[in-house]
Amino acid sequence: MIRLTKVELRRLTARRLTLIGVAGLFLITALLLVATWFDARPLSAAEQQQAERQFQLAHKDWVDNAAENRAQCEADWKTQPDPKPTVDDMCSYPEPKLEDFGKPPTVFAQVMPGLLQGSSYILAFAAFLIGAGFVGAEFSSGAIGNWLTFEPRRLRVYGSKLLAAATGFVPIAAVVLAIVLLGTFLIVDHPGDTAGTTRKTWGDLSAIGGRAVLTTALAAALGSVVGLLLRHTAAAIGLVMAYLVLAEGVFAAFLEKAQPWLVKVNFDAFVRHDAQYYVTQCKTGSDGSYVCDYVPKTLSFEHGAWYLAILAVLAIVLGGWVFHRRDVN
Amino acid sequence: MSDVAISTRGLRKTYRTRRGRKVVAVHGLDLDVPTGGVHGFLGPNGSGKTTSIRMLLGLVRSDAGTMTVFGKTVPAQLPEVVGRVGAIVESPKFFPAFTGRKNLELLAEAIGAPRTRVSEVLEQTSLGERGNDRFRSYSLGMKQRLAIAATLLKQPDLLIFDEPTNGLDPAGIREIRETMRGLGDQGKTVLVSSHILAEVEQVADTVSIIGHGRLLAAGTVAEVIGGSTTPTVKVAIGNHETAARILTAAGMTVRTDGKYLLVEGAPDPADVTRRLAHQELYVSELVPVRADLESVFLELTEGEGL
Ligand SMILES: Nc1ncnc2c1ncn2[C@@H]1O[C@H](COP(=O)(O)OP(=O)(O)OP(=O)(O)O)[C@@H](O)[C@H]1O
Ligand SMILES: [Mg+2]
Repeated sequence: MIRLTKVELRRLTARRLTLIGVAGLFLITALLLVATWFDARPLSAAEQQQAERQFQLAHKDWVDNAAENRAQCEADWKTQPDPKPTVDDMCSYPEPKLEDFGKPPTVFAQVMPGLLQGSSYILAFAAFLIGAGFVGAEFSSGAIGNWLTFEPRRLRVYGSKLLAAATGFVPIAAVVLAIVLLGTFLIVDHPGDTAGTTRKTWGDLSAIGGRAVLTTALAAALGSVVGLLLRHTAAAIGLVMAYLVLAEGVFAAFLEKAQPWLVKVNFDAFVRHDAQYYVTQCKTGSDGSYVCDYVPKTLSFEHGAWYLAILAVLAIVLGGWVFHRRDVN
Repeated sequence: MSDVAISTRGLRKTYRTRRGRKVVAVHGLDLDVPTGGVHGFLGPNGSGKTTSIRMLLGLVRSDAGTMTVFGKTVPAQLPEVVGRVGAIVESPKFFPAFTGRKNLELLAEAIGAPRTRVSEVLEQTSLGERGNDRFRSYSLGMKQRLAIAATLLKQPDLLIFDEPTNGLDPAGIREIRETMRGLGDQGKTVLVSSHILAEVEQVADTVSIIGHGRLLAAGTVAEVIGGSTTPTVKVAIGNHETAARILTAAGMTVRTDGKYLLVEGAPDPADVTRRLAHQELYVSELVPVRADLESVFLELTEGEGL
């Protein structure tokens, strides 16, 4: 099995689709860093002056009108029917501050988890496609039949393919995520704010990265399973697209309560350690008004982890069973 | 047990087509392939040759029946004997974007054969320089050679070739034939399926003929031919009537065929000339009508094709 896995790894790395895919991943990573750099870039002198002028205007307006506005607002508040916000929520006119104008500095600890999560989507997607092609091509070319005359133990063959796809992506994901993490740090360090980056921040970020490596490996293995089940790379890609659009897009929009049972939120919950999703909650107020709110809900890390684990086991067992029984032409 | 390389009993396979119809591809096949030499596996299109071979190699599951290869039950014990079996099923299939050499290297590594073996088999199959081209760019003949090269990686005792000469030119056909003969002469067992009979007749020691997934005849080429047709000679002679009388009196069957007499049942063609010469009748032409595999095959498989 180890020998077979090595051979499969050699084949994986020799495939053109793999090379193109990995080159594409690094290109996207580079673009991501460029975009981060644009975001974190400080304002130019001219932009800075513009912001200051805006601040002065706003501050003057506040000095001139704030007291009057507050008095007016409090009068309005008294006539409002219940339920109503507190008077301080409704009628606060804080003094404008200079920091509110112009661009807030980029804080490393705040932007990084989102960037890692974004990278994990891209990695998972690429790994799935490359994994699907890796196994799908064997069936569409018929080379699997020849392969099985050299190694007829199907489960070993199957296991070695999944293992090769998964392990092949571990270093790729690790390198991509490390580039994103360190690259962003260096970019933000210059104009932005990395001062508050503690040991714990690094720990949390590394944990997100580590879990993103795991999801990438898992996606590669699941891609291989789907490539095996459908026997064609194109069919596997079609299936993923259809799932993303229909289930994660349309279905999730109509049936918001079903979100905890869809892949995306569970994926987020696992990678980010808890994730939020939103459901609309509507209620009728005492005055008969019908109000709808967007209420955030939390999906726990444990839920996400179990969900992904069970999904993986089911898919892998199904693939193994089908391959074990399948007639190969 | 070692005198048969392959043995099947009651082997059966039913395919279900897309539209749910059932096709019985192999229908209780009893096949015995003796160890050593070339065994022709003959049958018309669709008679189940490829399906039987796939079952022997564990690629397709049988519905019923038993199979052994070198005394091991397959597919259960296939891993124990697969190292001794090289096979090409239908057209050679490799990774099209990889070079011939790369394809062989992967296979060699999978079975733990040394890398040097790859260059050796490429040389043996005269692929040498072309080994570094993509498989996709190969001609049919080169693909076939690569497939043979792949089977030789294992140094097998049993080679299974499924219609190996399909699409090859006469030189290619001869080459494959010589390769098979050579392997057979080395004491290896070669199972070659074909419907090109002249081909098999020239190279095979023993044959099995199947139709509709069942065994119709088996044995040495001579036995199979002899078993179903009697030796006949075609004689050109001046006086038909006298000649026919003399030969009939000697227990032979005589028919007229244009200006020839067709004589059946002569133990030896020399018998015919001797008896006639005795009566001062001289034969101007005498041709043994050789029953060949083709006529036997057509006779046996009449109405068996698709
Ligand atoms: N995958 C399949 N699905 C359905 N039917 C099949 C399949 N493979 C073969 N068959 C059917 O099984 C029968 C036997 O086919 P097989 O390929 O074994 O014949 P063959 O003797 O090799 O023929 P040929 O000389 O044309 O190669 C045919 O009727 C064929 O249509
Ligand atoms: Mg065939």
